[in-house]
Amino acid sequence: MTPFRSAPAGYVARWDDVEREVLGRVARDVAELVRAESGLEPGIEVGDGVAFTGVARVPQDPAVQRLLPDAHDEDADVAAEFRHLTQTDLAAGKVARLVTFADAIDSPDVLPDDPRDGAELVVPRESAQEFAGALTDVRLVLAERLGLVDDADVETLHDDVLAGLDADEDDDLDEPEEADAPDEYAGWERVGLTGSERRYWGGVFVAAGFAQESLVDEMLADLRAGRAGA
Amino acid sequence: MAAATEVESETQSDTRADAATAVADPWVTIVWNDPVNLMSYVSYVFESYFGYPPAKAQKLMLQVHHDGRAVVSSGPRERMEVDVQAMHGFGLWATLRQSGSSDGGATGLDGGAA
Repeated sequence: MTPFRSAPAGYVARWDDVEREVLGRVARDVAELVRAESGLEPGIEVGDGVAFTGVARVPQDPAVQRLLPDAHDEDADVAAEFRHLTQTDLAAGKVARLVTFADAIDSPDVLPDDPRDGAELVVPRESAQEFAGALTDVRLVLAERLGLVDDADVETLHDDVLAGLDADEDDDLDEPEEADAPDEYAGWERVGLTGSERRYWGGVFVAAGFAQESLVDEMLADLRAGRAGA
Repeated sequence: MAAATEVESETQSDTRADAATAVADPWVTIVWNDPVNLMSYVSYVFESYFGYPPAKAQKLMLQVHHDGRAVVSSGPRERMEVDVQAMHGFGLWATLRQSGSSDGGATGLDGGAA
């Protein structure tokens, strides 16, 4: 995976086949999760006016609760009314952009001569915000599954994933799972992932963050340049 | 970027006007810290959606990061509901509150004067 760079056609990066496959699958899984948890009927289109007819079910999955949170932290009536009025549109919008994201990375713009180079993804400027938003929702759900509750958890995971890039895998074979759980990483122990699961999903989380950070840096630069020139 | 920016321009000017009259505005939008959203992304949201200049967006972003939350806009309840829904759309954790209730108001004046 290479960082996104600004180009005339949009923001351009190269993603390996496995990176496209895994992130595409996760995005579709998150879309299905949001759809099921929010009570969306299949086939609802954004902007159908469904906000006033759809039944907004309160999500039970904590990851979806984070994507569709209460809009008031103290007044349950305000939160419930807000959810009733907005959740269906919000959830439908998230589902739509996650599927668009998955479709876009499924069919990259330029396939490489050498597959090891990775396919070229071009994110047009007008859809970059949706692409970044889909990456946000994917990362929020992965973070919940990984038990990341504070900044220290995220930093520990980043360090472990980056250190693991050149570490061997044999600790899975002969060590009990508890052995590679660092004391400071209580979140991981709480969610009960094995070491290999944590490495795998942690790697996906870090890759999605790398893609998003490089994309947003370029978007922010373009936004500021546009303001300055206006 | 032009297309996306033009779509937001009406919201930007409205919200700026709201910020100028923050003292009289009864409701605020609060964005809460989370360990996942990137600092650059939060800045991008504050600059692109609210139309805040980079320095104000950065100040609010750092306030979220260090204090756990920041008041990012103020105005009538209906406008704050629009802002909260937009923040949820971006994946930020946001709530609305009456600015006079508990300590939301004090933080609101800080945010509005930024």
